[in-house]
Amino acid sequence: MFEMNTAEPMQVDVPPEDNENNETESYIVENPTLDLETYAAAYTGFAKLYRLMFVAEHCPSLRLEALKMAISYVMTTYNVSLYHTLHKKLADAVASAGLPDVAVQMGSQDIPVLDTIWTESKTKKAAIKLEKLDTDLKNYKTNSIKESIRRGHDDLGDHYLDCGDLTSALKCYSRARDYCTSGKHIIMMCLNVVKVSVYLQNWAHVLNYVSKAEGTPDFNEVPGKDSNQSILTRLKCAAGLAELATKKYKSAAKHFLAASIDHCDYPELLSSNNVAIYGGLCALATFDRSELQKQVIGSSSFKLFLELEPQLRDIIFKFYESKYASCLRLLDDIRDNLLLDMYLAPHLNSLYMQIRNRALIQYFSPYLSADMHLMAAAFNRTVNALEDELMQLILDGQIQARIDSHNKILYAKDVDQRSTTFERSLAMGREYQRRTSMLILRAAMLKNQIHVKNVGRDTGPQSGEAPGSSTSLTPRTFDTVPL
Amino acid sequence: MASPLEQFVNNVRTMSASGSFRELCDVIAKSDEVLQRNSAHLSTVLETLDIQQHSLGVLAVLVAKFTVQQGATDVDKSTMYQQIHDFITNCNGEQVRFSPELYTELCHQLTNYLIEIKQPIRGIEILKKAIRKIQLFDSHLTSIHADLCQLCLLSKCMKPALEFLDTDITGIGSELGGNNDSKHFLLYYYYGGMIYTAMKNYERALYFFEVVVTVPALVVSHIMLEAYKKYILVTFILHGKVLPMPKYTSQVVCRFLKPLSAAYYELATSPHAAVKHREIFVRDKNMGLVNQVLSSMYKKNIQRLTKTFLTLSLSDVAARVQLSGPAQAESYILNMIEEGEIYAMINQKDGMVVFLDSPEKYASPETLCVLEQQMAICTKLHQYIQEMDEQIQVNPQYVKKSVGSHDEDMPATSQNSKTTYSM
Amino acid sequence: MITNFDKLCGDLEKQELEAPTGIASPSTYAQLLAIYLYQNDLCNAKFLWKRIPHNITSSNPEIGAIWLVGQKLWKKDLPGTYQALAAYNWTEPIANIIRALEEKIRERTLNLIGRSYSSISIDTIVSMTGLSKDAVLHVCRDRKWTLNEDGVTVTPTPPTQPAPLHTSSEDQLFKLTEFVSFLEN
Repeated sequence: MFEMNTAEPMQVDVPPEDNENNETESYIVENPTLDLETYAAAYTGFAKLYRLMFVAEHCPSLRLEALKMAISYVMTTYNVSLYHTLHKKLADAVASAGLPDVAVQMGSQDIPVLDTIWTESKTKKAAIKLEKLDTDLKNYKTNSIKESIRRGHDDLGDHYLDCGDLTSALKCYSRARDYCTSGKHIIMMCLNVVKVSVYLQNWAHVLNYVSKAEGTPDFNEVPGKDSNQSILTRLKCAAGLAELATKKYKSAAKHFLAASIDHCDYPELLSSNNVAIYGGLCALATFDRSELQKQVIGSSSFKLFLELEPQLRDIIFKFYESKYASCLRLLDDIRDNLLLDMYLAPHLNSLYMQIRNRALIQYFSPYLSADMHLMAAAFNRTVNALEDELMQLILDGQIQARIDSHNKILYAKDVDQRSTTFERSLAMGREYQRRTSMLILRAAMLKNQIHVKNVGRDTGPQSGEAPGSSTSLTPRTFDTVPL
Repeated sequence: MASPLEQFVNNVRTMSASGSFRELCDVIAKSDEVLQRNSAHLSTVLETLDIQQHSLGVLAVLVAKFTVQQGATDVDKSTMYQQIHDFITNCNGEQVRFSPELYTELCHQLTNYLIEIKQPIRGIEILKKAIRKIQLFDSHLTSIHADLCQLCLLSKCMKPALEFLDTDITGIGSELGGNNDSKHFLLYYYYGGMIYTAMKNYERALYFFEVVVTVPALVVSHIMLEAYKKYILVTFILHGKVLPMPKYTSQVVCRFLKPLSAAYYELATSPHAAVKHREIFVRDKNMGLVNQVLSSMYKKNIQRLTKTFLTLSLSDVAARVQLSGPAQAESYILNMIEEGEIYAMINQKDGMVVFLDSPEKYASPETLCVLEQQMAICTKLHQYIQEMDEQIQVNPQYVKKSVGSHDEDMPATSQNSKTTYSM
Repeated sequence: MITNFDKLCGDLEKQELEAPTGIASPSTYAQLLAIYLYQNDLCNAKFLWKRIPHNITSSNPEIGAIWLVGQKLWKKDLPGTYQALAAYNWTEPIANIIRALEEKIRERTLNLIGRSYSSISIDTIVSMTGLSKDAVLHVCRDRKWTLNEDGVTVTPTPPTQPAPLHTSSEDQLFKLTEFVSFLEN
C-alpha cells in the first residue's frame, strides 16, 4: 500500500495492469490443479522444454517433477547445454526444498544424476553430425543442385535446433530461401522461420513470415486440401501468439478463432487447448456482445475447441447470459492454472481486467441509475473497490455516468446536447483562431526567411557546408538569457 | 577639397532635401568607416544636422557614436539616453523606415546601455515610442520588440509589454530575417512567453513558446532549448500532459531537445521528479514553474473527480487527491470555484461536496455577445487568409511557376484550350 | 474622493515609467500597489513590490503594510487579510483605496460563499468576511440567507446575476446580416 502511494501519489487511481512486468518475474502459484504428465504430452521440442521450465519456475509443488520430465526429454536431443542448465536448476531445487518428506516421497534414487559420459558422447556425436551435414551441403553447392542445397540448409537448421543453437538454426532456415523452387518450399521455409522466431520471442519476425507465407502466390493451390488447412491453422496460431505477446488482444482473438480443430496439430508451438483458452479469453476481453455471439458462441468450428475446455465454455456462456458474478468466480477458479502458461501469464491481469470492465459496462448499459450495493454484490466486490473501478471507466469514457458517493448510486449522465454543442463550437472557434494566427505568423516567418541556422560569429569558413552536416547539436552561444 | 566627413554631411543635406533616401542609405552604408574614424567630431556633426529633416543622417551618426570601437575601451555614453530619446521623439518615421537595420541597432544600443547601468525601466517608454514610429501597422514585428520585452522583464514591470504581445503578428520586419540570424525573433517570443507566464496567462504563454520551438531550424539554439523546457512545464499546467508537437516542427527539435529535457518529461509521470531533479530545475531557473505544475496537478485531479462524481465527502476528496485533510480539500475546492475551474457546492454540515455541471446554459444575451465576438474574430482571420491567398495568386513568381509546370504536363495544343479544360 | 481607480492607475503607471531616474515617488508606488490589489491584479502587484527600491520600502512602512495585505490575498488567507488591513493606520490617499479594497474583498467573498456553499457555519462566514457575528447575521438577513434551526449553520443562496445587457434588435439584425453575407461569399 505504501509503495503504491510513493509511486503515484499524483494519480487519483493506479491502473493495476502497470505492475504486470514485475509480476511475471516473481509470482508463485501454490495450488494448481494441473496434471503435468498430460500437459507436457501435448508438446514437443522446445515448446515442451520451455513450458516445463516455466512451470518449474513458478510452481514449487510441481518443480521437481517438471525438471525431471524436462531432463529426460532433453536427453533425447543434442542439447547438452540445456541439459546442464536443467541439472543445475534441479540441484538448486533439491537443495532449497531440502524437506525430508519430499526426499522420502520422491525417493532419492529418483533424482537423476548428472551423466557426464552421456554429455561427452552427445557432444561428440553432435560435432560429427554437424561436420557431415556441412560437407554434404558443400558438395551440393559445388554441384549446384538447388533442391539438395535447400534440403541441406534445412537439415543443418534442424540439427542446430536439436542442439539448442536457435540463432544458427534461424540463419540456416532463412538461407534456404534462395533455393526454394516452388510455393510449397517457400511456405515450408516460412514455417521453419516462424517456429524458431517464436522460440526466440521475436514477434515482429513471426508476423512478417506469416504474412509472407500467406502471400505466396500458390498458397491456395498447394495440393491436398487437408495439408493446406493444417498449414493455415499453423500460421494462424503463430500469428495469434505473436499478437497476444504484443498485447494486440483483439487481432490475437481473430487469429485463434480462424484455426481449425481437425487440422490443429502443432505440438512444436501449442496445443488445441491453448488455442481454445487464448482465443476465448482474448475474445471475451475485446469483443462486443454481437461479435461474441457471432464469432465465438455461434462459430461451429470454435465450438469444438471450447469443448476441450468446458470451464472456459461455461465462462463465456455465463458472460453472455449476463451472469457476471458466477462468470467472474469461474474465471478466478482457473486463474492459477493459467498463470502457469508461459505465453498467457504476462497478460492475464490485463485480460481479466478488460473482461471485468466489459462486464461492468454491459451491466450498467440498460440503466439510468443503479444501486452500487447491488452492483457490488453482482461483481463480488466491496462498494468502495467498485467505486474505484467505475471511476476509471468513467474517466476513460467507457461509461457515461456519475457516481453519487454519498448515496452510493450510479447515475447515467444526461448529456445536454445543446450545451455541449455550444461548448464544442466555442472551443473549436478558439482552436481555429489559435491555429490560423499561428499559420499567418508562419507564413510571415517563411516569407522573411526566419530560421535557425549556422550563421554566427565563428562559422564563417563553414558557411559552405552541406545542410546535412549541421544536424549535429551545435547550440549557439547566445548571450545568456536574463532572468 | 572637403574632408570625407564634410562630404558626408553634404551628401546627407542634399539627398535629404531631394528626397533620394534610398541613395542616401547606400551612401550611409559606405560611410561607416569614415564616421567611426572621426568619432571625436561626431558631436559637432550632429549640431549641423536637423533631426526631423536629416533623420537618416543623424541616425547614422548616433549609431556610429555609440558603437564601441575595437581598441577603444569606452565610449562617452553620458548624453546617450537624452540624445536617443530626442531622436526617437522627433525623427521622421518615413525616413528612418528606409534603414530599419540602423534604427533598430540604435535601440539595441540603448537597451544594452540601460541594462548595463541597471535602469531598464527608463527605456520602456522610449522603445514603445520607437516601435510605434517605425511600424507600418500594429501587427508588424520589429526587432525592437525583443528589447522592449527584455527591459520589461528585467525591470519587473511587465504591463507595458502586453499591448504589443496581445497583438498577433502578421508581418515581420526585414531586419529580423533574411541573412540576419533570427535571434531577435526567437528572443521576442521567448521573452513574451516568460511575461505571459509571469502574468499567469498560460494559454498565451504556451502559444509563444510553441512559436519558438517550431521555428524552422537546422541547428538547435539555446533559446529554443530553454523555451522548450518552459513549453513542457506550461503544457503540464494547462493540459496535465504533453501534447504532440505540430507536424511542421523541425526534426532537430524532436531529436535533440527531448533528450536534453528528460527531467522535465519525468514530471509528467512522477512528481518526485521535482525533488529528484531539483538541481536541474533550480539551475534552469524553472523551480517556480515546477511548483506551479505540482499544484496544478492537484487541481487537475480534483477536476477529474468532478467528471466522475456527483457527490463526494470532503475527506474522500482529500484521500483521492492526496491532500492533507478535509480542510485543505475544502480550501482547494473553494479556490477552484472562485477561479471558475469547477462548479460545486460545499455542504459544511455534512462535509459533502456536490459537483455540478456548468451552470452555463448558453441561452443568455451574453452568449450571443460572446458568439458574435468570436465569429467576428474568425471572420477577420478568414478574410486575412483570403487576402494572403489572393496575393499569392497574383505573385508573378507563383504564376510563372504554376503556369510553367502546367506547360510541362501537357505540351503542344493551344494555350487557351488548356485553361478551359483544367477548369 | 476618487472613485475612478482605473484612470488613476493609468496615470500612476505613466508617472513611474517617465520618472527621470526610473524611480518614482513613494506615494506613487504606494497608491499603485494599493490599486493593483483593489483590481485583484495580484501578479502586477507582486512585481511592483519586487521592483520598488529597497531604500524606499524601508523608509515607507506603509508600502510594506500594503504588500502584507497583498501577500495574504496571494495566499488566499482571508482572515489574515482582514487582520493585515486592520493592523495599519492608513493615511490618505491610501486609506481611501484601502477602504474600497476591503469593501470589495468582502463583497467578492460573500458572492463566493453564495455560489459555493449549500450550508456553512456562521463562524466560517465570520472568519471569511472579517465581520462581527452580529454584522454577519445582519448581512445574512440582507441577502435572504436562512439561518438553520440549529442556530449555527446558514443556507446561502447564489447571488443574483446582474441584469442582462440590452442590445437593440437593429444592432443584432445588422450583425446577423454581416454574418450571413460572410457565409455566402
